[in-house]
Amino acid sequence: MASSAEIVSSEYQFGFHDEVEYLEETKAGLTRDTVEEISRFKGEPQWMLDFRLRAYAHFLSRPMPTWGGELANIDMSKIVYYRKPSQGEEKSWDDVPDKIKKTFERLGIPEAERKFLAGVGAQYDSEVVYHSVREELSKIGVVFMGTDQGLKEYPELFKKYFATVVPPEDNKFAALNSAVWSGGSFVYVPKGVEVPLPLQAYFRINAENTGQFERTLIIVDEGAKVHYIEGCTAPIYTTDALHAAVVEVIALPGSKVRYTTIQNWSNDVYNLVTKRAHAHANSTVEWIDANTGSKLTMKYPSIWLRGEGATAEVISVAVAGKGQHQDTGAKAIHLAPNTRSRIISKSISKDGGRTTYRGQLKVVPGATGVVASVRCDALLLDEGSRSDTYPYIDIQEDDTTMTHEATVGKISQDQVFYLMSRGLTENEATNLVVQGFLEVFTKELPMEYAIEFNRLVKLEMEGSLG
Amino acid sequence: MKADPQQAAAAPAAPAPATAIRRGPADLTLSFVNDATVRFTAAAAGDAEWLLADRLAGLAAFNALPIETNPLYTTYVDLRNAHLDEVRPYGTAPSVADDAAGAPLPDGAAAFAEVCENRVTALAMSPEARAGGLILETLETTRARDPKLLRELLEGGCALPENDKLAQMTRALWSAGLLLRIPDGLRLEKPVVLRHVVGTPGTAVIARTIISVGRDAEVSVLEEQVSSSTAPSGPSDPQAFFAGTTEVRIDAGSSLSFAGLQDLSLRQIAFQHRSAVLGKAASVRWALAQLGSRVIRSRIDNTLEGDGSTVEQAEIVFGSADQLFDLTSYTRHTGRDTTGNLLSKGALADKSRVYMKGLATIDHTAHGTDSYLGEFGMLLSRQARSVAIPSLEIDQPDCRRVAHASSVGPIDETQLFYLESRGLSPEEARKLIVLGYLEPVVARVPLESARERLRELLEAKWEARVVAPPAAAVA
Repeated sequence: MASSAEIVSSEYQFGFHDEVEYLEETKAGLTRDTVEEISRFKGEPQWMLDFRLRAYAHFLSRPMPTWGGELANIDMSKIVYYRKPSQGEEKSWDDVPDKIKKTFERLGIPEAERKFLAGVGAQYDSEVVYHSVREELSKIGVVFMGTDQGLKEYPELFKKYFATVVPPEDNKFAALNSAVWSGGSFVYVPKGVEVPLPLQAYFRINAENTGQFERTLIIVDEGAKVHYIEGCTAPIYTTDALHAAVVEVIALPGSKVRYTTIQNWSNDVYNLVTKRAHAHANSTVEWIDANTGSKLTMKYPSIWLRGEGATAEVISVAVAGKGQHQDTGAKAIHLAPNTRSRIISKSISKDGGRTTYRGQLKVVPGATGVVASVRCDALLLDEGSRSDTYPYIDIQEDDTTMTHEATVGKISQDQVFYLMSRGLTENEATNLVVQGFLEVFTKELPMEYAIEFNRLVKLEMEGSLG
Repeated sequence: MKADPQQAAAAPAAPAPATAIRRGPADLTLSFVNDATVRFTAAAAGDAEWLLADRLAGLAAFNALPIETNPLYTTYVDLRNAHLDEVRPYGTAPSVADDAAGAPLPDGAAAFAEVCENRVTALAMSPEARAGGLILETLETTRARDPKLLRELLEGGCALPENDKLAQMTRALWSAGLLLRIPDGLRLEKPVVLRHVVGTPGTAVIARTIISVGRDAEVSVLEEQVSSSTAPSGPSDPQAFFAGTTEVRIDAGSSLSFAGLQDLSLRQIAFQHRSAVLGKAASVRWALAQLGSRVIRSRIDNTLEGDGSTVEQAEIVFGSADQLFDLTSYTRHTGRDTTGNLLSKGALADKSRVYMKGLATIDHTAHGTDSYLGEFGMLLSRQARSVAIPSLEIDQPDCRRVAHASSVGPIDETQLFYLESRGLSPEEARKLIVLGYLEPVVARVPLESARERLRELLEAKWEARVVAPPAAAVA
C-alpha cells in the first residue's frame, strides 16, 4: 500500500471527468463483448478486465435469488449496461411525472437542481461546491473522487482493497455490478486524519450522471475518521429499471466511519445493493440507512467485525407506499472477541406497501465477549399493507450476550387523540407520531438532511389517511 | 485419514479405496421410501383403494419435494448424522397384545396406549373415560369399525403439511396408527397417556396419531417417545428411526393440553410432525420437552381458524454430546381475535446445537390478533450453538399485539453470584439456574409422576454433562 505521504504528495487533476474517450452507450443486453467493451473504453488495466470477466461468468452461472422480493419482472436483456456519463438521456422536463415535480417543489429544491435530479439538465451549483470541498480535502490528504479515476490515480491502493470486502461471487447482483461497474466514489482517508465535514456523494456524483452500477470503495486508515453521505431526500428520477450498486468500506484499526444513505429512487426502480464493511480492531462502523423510494429494494448493510474491540451500528429506516416493497435489514458478523453491535430497524408500510426486515446476527466460535442487540419496529398504517420480519440469529460462542426484540403495530390512537386534543388535525397528529417513530434515525442526520427528510416523510404520509 | 498398511497389503486388488461418500448438510438417504414398500404396506394393512391412492400421493410429494421448502430455513438443515440407508420399516400394522385392554393404567391416568416397536402392549381406559364415550383405538380398529370415519380423518393427507417432504413420507408409509376421540361435552380431568417405545437397531417405526376433540370438551394428553431396551447404544449399531405425527383437530369451545416428552437414545433419529387446527374459542397448550435423539427434526403447525382461538406453546431443549435439535414452528392466524403465545428455550451443553425456527403468519382476515414468539438459548459450552429465526409475516395491521423476542447468553453471572452468596457451590448454583430455566415446560406436564421423571431426566442429563465434558469444552 502506498504510504499516506505518497498519497498526499501524488498529484491528481482537478478535473471532474476522466480524460478518456467514452463510448456513448453499449447495446442493450449483457454479453461478454459488452463487458470487454466497457473495460476497453475505460482503458482499464488487464487485471480489471479479468476481474470483470470472472464476475460475468459467475453472474451467468448464478441463479436468481428465490427469496426476497419479486424479481421475475427484471428483463436483463433490455438493460443498457453502460451509458456515457455526464450526458443524460435526451429527455424533456415535460416528460417528468407530475408527482415528482410536486415532490421537488414541496421539498424546496432549487429549479436548476430539480432538472438535474429529473435527469434533464446538468446541475452547476454542485460543481462549485464540489470543487471547493475537494481543495479543502486535498490539503489534508483525503482522496475523494470517482471510482474510475481512483483506479487510474491510485492503482496500488485500489487493487489492494477492491473486491476484498464484496467478492463478485458474493451474490448474483454483486457479480453483475462487478462485471459492468461504472462510477461511484473512491475515498481514502490517511492515518489519523479526521475529515471535518461530511463527504457528500450527492455533490460529487451530480457532476456526472447518477450511475446504475456504481461501485464505491472507502478506505479509512488507522485512527482516521470520516462521515460519507450518499443520496439525497429528493426523488431521483430515472428511467433505468435496475440499480445494482456495491459499496465496500474498510475501517482499519482505530478508525471511525459513518455511512449515511438516503435512498429515494423513483418508484419503478429495482434497487439491489450490496453494502458491506470490514471493521478492524477498535474501529467503529455505522450504517445509517433510509429507503423511501424504488419499486423493490433489497439491501442489507453488513459489518464484519474482524478485529478485537470493533463496534458496529446500523440504523435502518424503510418506508413502503403503494406498489413498493422494501426488503431491507442489516447484518453483523462477529469474527473477533469483545466486539459489539447494535441494529435498529424502523419500517412503515402504507397504501398497500410491504416492508421486510431481514437480518443476520452471527457470532463465530472464538469471538468471545460479544455484546449484540437487535431491535425492529414496524408500523402498519392501513389495511392491505404488510410487514414481515426474518431475523437470523446464529450464536456459536457461549459468553455472547445477545438480545433481539421486534414489534409490529399500528399508530397509537391514544397518541393521535392526545395530539388532536391539543389542536392538531388528524393528519398533523399522525405525522408527528410517525416522525417521532423515526426520530432515532432522523437525529443522526446532519441538520439540512433531517429537515428535508422530515418534509419527505410528511409528503409520503399525505393522503395515507382516508 | 491414514491408510492402514496391513489392510492395503491384504487387499491390493481393491478397485478403489472405500472412502465414505461426502454428505451435504441436507443429504438424507431413505432407501426404503419407494413404490414397492408403499404397496407392500398398503397390502399388508388391507388398505381400501382410496387409502392406497393417498399413500401414493404422499410418495409422489415426497419424491418431488426438497428437504426444506421454506427458503428462510434452507441454510439450516443438517442431516449428516442421520444414517438411515440401512433402516427398514416394519411395514405391517402392529399386532395388539391379548392383554392390552387389561394393562394397568399409569397412576392418575384416564386412558393409556403403549406401542412397543411393532406391538400394541397397552390400550386401556378407566371406567369413567369409557362411560364418557372416550375412544382410544388403533387405526386398524377404526378401519374395521367405521371405514367412513377413517377416510374422513386421513384422506388428502389431513393436517400433514403438503410442502413437507418428511410428513409426506409418513403419509405414504405409516403402519402404526392411533385414534383418540373425545366426544362433545366430555371433560376429562385425568390425562390420557400415549407412549411409543422404539429403537431396535435398523428399524423404522412410522406412526400417526390422530386426536379429534369434539365441541365443549376438555382433555389433557401426555405423549412419551422413549427408547426400548433393545435400542442401539454401541457406536457400531445401526441407527434406529422413528417418524411420528400428532394430528389434532379441536372443535369449538374445547381445549387440549398436550405434553410431549421425547427421550430417545443418541443412536436414534426422530422426525416429528404435530399439527393443530382450532375451531371457535378452542385452545391448545403444547408443553414439549426434547431431550433425546442424535438428530431430531420437529415441526409444529398451528392453524387458528376459529375466532377467539388460542395457542400456548412452550418447548424446551436440553442438548448434550453432538445432538442436533432442528425445531420449526408455524403458527397461522386466520380467525378474528386469536392468540398465539409461543416460547422456545434451549440449554445446550457440549457440542449440541439447536435451530429454533418460528414463523407467525397473520392473515388479512385475522383482525385483533395477539401474537408473541420468543426464542431463547443458553449456551453451556464453548462448542454449543444456537440459531434462532423468530419470523413474522403480517398482513393485517389491526392487531392487539405482535412481537417477538430472542436472546442468547451464558448463565447469568449475577444469578450465580446471588446463589453462591446463599451458600451453594458454583456447580449447584449452575444446575439450579439451568433447571429453573427449563422449568416452565416441566410445570405444565399433567401427571405428577411424569413431571418428576422429567425433572430427574433433566438432572441426569446435567450430571452426565458435568461428569464427562468434552476435552475442548474446557475454556
